[in-house]
Amino acid sequence: MFRFQTSVAVRLVLGYGLLATASIAVASAIFYLGTIGVLDQNVDDKIVSISKRLIDKFQARPVEDLCREIKLQLSDKIDSDREIFLVLSPSGHRLTGNLSTWPSPATPLDRVVTRDVVREGKAVSARLLMHRLQNAELLIVGRDLSEHITIGRLVWRALAVGITISLLLTVVGALFFRHQIEARIGDIRRTAVEIEAGDLTRRIPISSDDEFGLLSREINHMLDRIEHLMESTRHVSNAIAHDLRTPLGRIRSKLDDAVRHDMTVEILSDAAHDAIEGIDDLILVFEKLLQIAEAESGMRTKLFETVDLNRIALDMVDLYDATAEERQVILKTSLKDAVFAHGDRNLLASAVASLIDNAIKYAGPGATVEVGTLADDHSVSLVVRDNGPGIPQEYLPKVTERFYRLDQSRSQPGNGLGLSIVSAIATLHVGKLILENDTHGLIARIILPPAEASAHSR
Amino acid sequence: MRCLVIEDEVDTAHYICKGLREAGHTVTPCGNGLDGLHFATSEHWDVIILDRLLPGQVDGLSIIAKLRDLGKKTPVIIVSALTNIDERVSGLRAGADDYLSKPFAFSELLARIEALLRRASPSHDATQLQVADLVLDLRTMRVERGSHPVALQPREFRLLEYLMRHEGQVVTRTMLLEAVWDYRFDPQTNIIDVQISRLRNKIDKGFAATLIHTVRGVGYRLAPGGAALNV
Repeated sequence: MFRFQTSVAVRLVLGYGLLATASIAVASAIFYLGTIGVLDQNVDDKIVSISKRLIDKFQARPVEDLCREIKLQLSDKIDSDREIFLVLSPSGHRLTGNLSTWPSPATPLDRVVTRDVVREGKAVSARLLMHRLQNAELLIVGRDLSEHITIGRLVWRALAVGITISLLLTVVGALFFRHQIEARIGDIRRTAVEIEAGDLTRRIPISSDDEFGLLSREINHMLDRIEHLMESTRHVSNAIAHDLRTPLGRIRSKLDDAVRHDMTVEILSDAAHDAIEGIDDLILVFEKLLQIAEAESGMRTKLFETVDLNRIALDMVDLYDATAEERQVILKTSLKDAVFAHGDRNLLASAVASLIDNAIKYAGPGATVEVGTLADDHSVSLVVRDNGPGIPQEYLPKVTERFYRLDQSRSQPGNGLGLSIVSAIATLHVGKLILENDTHGLIARIILPPAEASAHSR
Repeated sequence: MRCLVIEDEVDTAHYICKGLREAGHTVTPCGNGLDGLHFATSEHWDVIILDRLLPGQVDGLSIIAKLRDLGKKTPVIIVSALTNIDERVSGLRAGADDYLSKPFAFSELLARIEALLRRASPSHDATQLQVADLVLDLRTMRVERGSHPVALQPREFRLLEYLMRHEGQVVTRTMLLEAVWDYRFDPQTNIIDVQISRLRNKIDKGFAATLIHTVRGVGYRLAPGGAALNV
């Protein structure tokens, strides 16, 4: 199973949880200052204004008037549960007021301060303002803070509960989110594990079109491609092991035979020549495999130039006319005007040569092979058409595979790479090789993009 | 002829040097790029056989580039395992005269070297080529064997001209494809052989001495009949 600290979902949700908690804290602080803070300020303002009014009013009058006024205030039932008044004689005795203990005389005067006092028998915390009157009496005006403290405590409790709940929600969210991601990624991971274990046919089940669905689809496409490549690699290595072992065995047995017997110069030199020829054939096969691999890797060469396809068709017919005559095959051309492609003339010529070679080989004596060019707005083609037996329809897609040979062609010399190379050359030229049977025989077409009309060299 | 062989792989170098010495050439082997550059530029050579990938900070192409910068036209033939068309063209563009892929047959290399040396010597101005009783007139495009006219198609004429210009030398099938058809690829099956046999029918048929000889596993050689082969 997963480890908690390495789960993306957990990290993500914890991150967001911290962020949420921080923002709740900031909001709470603002809320707190906006309520308790404002209340505190109001209390102080009220104390100052009451104190000022009393002092102004009774400054020039005897202290007894002030005491009478304060008694009146304390008995009027308005605000009586919070207000605090106290008048002390110069000697520190209580003249009137609702405090039974009071702060020491050392308390700073004319400033609102917080002190613990006993009001009507209850110990409370209070805001107090002390002022010394003209005749050295001390006037204390204040307000009981019990209610404030209760409100503050309530606010704090609410905030604590809120933060706890949001943290809990964060954790629950993390688990839920993780579960969701695990459910989706789990499919991908399980498929990957199965593939790693060797079952390359496995694919990720796709349940929806969300981000995970799209990702899974892309991964499946990639797996298709990999499977195809693996298969063709496997096919090629099998073919190499198989098809190259035969000629190697032949070379070996000839050399072996030569050194076991008379070992005359003639026999040895014959065997050496045979061996060299056989090895040269093998080297050619490897060269062709490399050529195909190079073309299939999709490396486009920068050295392409404008090539006259008619020239190539004519030259290859010229090259093959003697061979055709010897095999009693009629070789002719059918050309369109001005057919140009962008490419490498030697590669294209070798492709056409290979197609002519096949046509002569498989169409047999008495056949006609026509080498031609075609052009339309979107493409140009080199075409080799014969009136031989063609290729059975079901094998058409297979004959361009490396080393693939039809059973009936195994009697003919060849290495099963010819059409693979032609196909690879076409691919290298951003074109393709198309093989089809028509009523008369096989048509092989190398279809290429046309060269820009402006650059007709060569 | 003085040949410089710049090749770091000991077996290949030995194979080339031995073959060249047997063919009667003087050979100086050299196993790394730096010495190769020094030898190539400081002495006179008739031909340089050059590997592309060399130890010693100097690769084959830069040796050619330096050589050509100095204005030396020494024929250079590259022998390389880098064989795709881009590599080949970059080799030729750098100033090499020929490019041979590894692995190669020594006879192919020798044939190409001799063709290069022949090209370097001025025999192109001749208007008539003659080997034994075979005469080819370059101006009238006429060919006679023992004063009997031989009718040749233009391509057969070019084929014969090439063989006669390289009289006594072995020419390979790819060389013929390059020289006569101007294409460079490995001809499949035996198309060149069939073309030669057709030419042979017209040149040699009915004459006691054959002029066109097959060199097994390599190619062809045109020479007065019965001459011993040097391969």
